[in-house]
Amino acid sequence: MTPPGGNGASLPGRILVVDDTPFNRQLLARLLRGLGHEPVEAVDGRQALARLRDADVPPIDVILLDIVMPEMDGYQVLAELRDDPALRHLPVIVISGVDELDSVVRCLEMGAADYLPKTVDPAILKARIASSLARKRLHDAEREAVDRQAASNEVLAIMSRSAFDLQVVLDAVVRAAVRLCRADYGVAYTLDGDAYRVAASAGGTPELDAWERDHPIRPGRDSLVGRVALIGQVISVDDVLADREYQATPGQHVGGYRTLIGIPIEEDGAVSGVLALTRNEVRAFGDGERALAIGFAEQAAIGIANARLLETIERQRGQLARFLSPQVAQLVSSPEGEALLAGHRREITAMFCDLRNFTTFSESAEPEEVLGFLRRYHATVGSLVVEHEGTLEHFAGDGIMVFFNDPAFQDDHAARAARMAMAVRERFVDIGDEWRRRGHVLQVGIGIATGYATMGRIGFEGRYDYGGVGNAIILASRLSGEAAAGEILLSQRTFAAVDGQVAAEPAGERQLKGFSRPMPVFRVTAGSGGDLVVAETATAAEAS
Amino acid sequence: MSAPIDQAVWTNLIEMTGGDVEFVDDLVDTYLADGERQVAALREAAAGGSADDLVRPAHSLKSSSLNVGALDLGALCRALEESARTGKVPDATQQVTAIATGFDEVRSALLAERAERAAG
Repeated sequence: MTPPGGNGASLPGRILVVDDTPFNRQLLARLLRGLGHEPVEAVDGRQALARLRDADVPPIDVILLDIVMPEMDGYQVLAELRDDPALRHLPVIVISGVDELDSVVRCLEMGAADYLPKTVDPAILKARIASSLARKRLHDAEREAVDRQAASNEVLAIMSRSAFDLQVVLDAVVRAAVRLCRADYGVAYTLDGDAYRVAASAGGTPELDAWERDHPIRPGRDSLVGRVALIGQVISVDDVLADREYQATPGQHVGGYRTLIGIPIEEDGAVSGVLALTRNEVRAFGDGERALAIGFAEQAAIGIANARLLETIERQRGQLARFLSPQVAQLVSSPEGEALLAGHRREITAMFCDLRNFTTFSESAEPEEVLGFLRRYHATVGSLVVEHEGTLEHFAGDGIMVFFNDPAFQDDHAARAARMAMAVRERFVDIGDEWRRRGHVLQVGIGIATGYATMGRIGFEGRYDYGGVGNAIILASRLSGEAAAGEILLSQRTFAAVDGQVAAEPAGERQLKGFSRPMPVFRVTAGSGGDLVVAETATAAEAS
Repeated sequence: MSAPIDQAVWTNLIEMTGGDVEFVDDLVDTYLADGERQVAALREAAAGGSADDLVRPAHSLKSSSLNVGALDLGALCRALEESARTGKVPDATQQVTAIATGFDEVRSALLAERAERAAG
C-alpha cells in the first residue's frame, strides 16, 4: 500500500470530487491530498457545475463523479459537460460500485473517460487519476500552443494594421503577455526623460494602475523596472518580500504582487522601455513563459521604433504645416475658401530650389548626417518661406517648391520669389561652408518662373495638398535643374516682372525638357557677392 | 452473523490513511452522522410507502458502509436499493428495520474499537 504523501503523483492536479456521501468525499479528498493533488469538493451535480463555471475557482483538471446523487445526478452532469465547449475536454472519472456496471457503460458512452470502483483502492485511484491528468495536460498543451500562436498572430496583425500607433501596439502586447505568461498584472514602461513611465497596462485594478502611473521609476536596484533599466537584462524576482534589495512600495501593497519578471525593451542597445509582469502568488515564471515575454518585449521594441520614426515624420510635417498655415489656414476657413480649393486659374510665380550633388552626398554620407543636413536645410528654407509669405507646395528630400501670389494676392510676387531665392542662397553660404569642411560639396540651384497655373486642392480624401498645375511650375523646376551651384535662373516673364527691382542679366537660351523651343534664361546678379539681400527695393536700386 | 466490521477492510482503511487514526476517527464520525441521516430517510420513505424514495439513502449508506468495512450492512443496503429500483418493496419496513439494527451494531462496534484504542 502506498503511504500517502510518500510516493505521490509526479504531476499534481486539481481534482473535483462530486459525491453526495460526506464519508466518500472526505476519504477521497484525503487520499487525493496524499497523492499530492488538490481536491475540490461538490455535494451534487448542480454544485459541481457551479464550481466548474465559477471564475473564482481555479481551473479543475479532472472530475471524480458519483452517479447517484440528489439535485442533479452524474448523467445530467455528463450531458451538461458535453454541451459546454469550455468544459467538454475535462476528463471525468465515474465512481461506481461493482454492481453498477450498466451505469458505467452508459457514462462511458456519454463521454466519461474512465471509472473507479466505489470501494476505494488508493493504487487504482492513483493510476486512474494519473492517466486522466496526462490526457488533460496533453489537451492543455495543445490548446496553449494554439493559444500562443493565435495571440502572437493577433499582436502581429495589430502591429501591421496600426504600425504607427504605439498605444495600440503596446496595449496588445501587454494584454497578450499577461494572458499567455499567466501573469496577474502587466505593464509596459517607456523611458520619458530619466524615468520609466507606464505606457500600457493590463490585468490590474484601477487603484494599482493609478499608483503605478503616478510613480515613474528611475534606474536602481530597489525596483524591478529599475534593475532591468540598470542592467539591460531580464530580471526575475521570485518573491519580492524575500528580496533584500527590493523596496516594497505602496504599489506592491496595493497590488499584492509577489513574483515578478522584467524584460528590457531595447532600442539601439539602450533600454527604452521595460515589460514587467507580476503574479500575486509566489510562483516563478517558467522558461517557456520567459521566452514568450522576451518575444513580446521585442514586439514592443519594434512598436516603439516605428512610433519614433512616425514622430520624426510628423514633426517634419508639423513644420511644413507651420510654414503653410498663415495663408492656407486662412483660405480654408474663409467663405470663398472652398471655391479656391476647388481650383482656380491665376498668375503665379513658382520658385523651385534643389541641391547640387545631393545624390552623391546622400550616397556617401551617413544616414544621420543626411537627415541632420536636411533638417537644417528645411528649417532654413522654411523660415524664409514664412518671412517672404510664400506658399510652400512641398518638401521632397532636397527639392522645395514655393508659390507666390496664391492663395493670397501679392502684387510683387516675382520680386518676392527672387528675393527669397537670394536669401536662400545667402543663408546657404554658411551651411555649404560647414559641409564643405566635412568634405561634402553642397550648393543650391534655384529656378523661378512666372505664368498662369491652375491652383487648388490636389490629392484624395485624407491626403490633400495645395498645389498647382501649369507651365510656369514645370519651367521653374527645369530652370532649377539648369542652375549651376549657387545660381538663380529666371524665366523671361519673371525677368520682365522684376526689372528695376532685382538685378539680373541674360544667360542665353536653353533647350529645356518638355519645351519645344529654346527658352531665354536670365541670371540674378544681385546679392551673389555674399551680401545679404532682404530689403525691398533698396537692394534692387543699389544693384542696378 | 459475523462481526459488524470486517477486519481486513478496516485495516486497509487505516493503512490507506497512512495510519492517521485521528483522520480515521473523523471519518467514522462523518460516517455515523451521515448514516443516521440515511437511516432516518429510509424510515421515512418506508413509512411513506414510496419505493423511489428508498433508492438514494440505501445507495448512499451502502457505499460508505462498504468502505468502512460494514460489509453485512452494506449488503442489506444493496438488497434494498436493488428492490427499490424495481419500484416494489413489499417488506420495506422490515428491511429498513434490519438496516437500522445493523447500523446500530456497526456504530457500537466502531465506538468500541475507538474506546479500546484509547484505553490500549
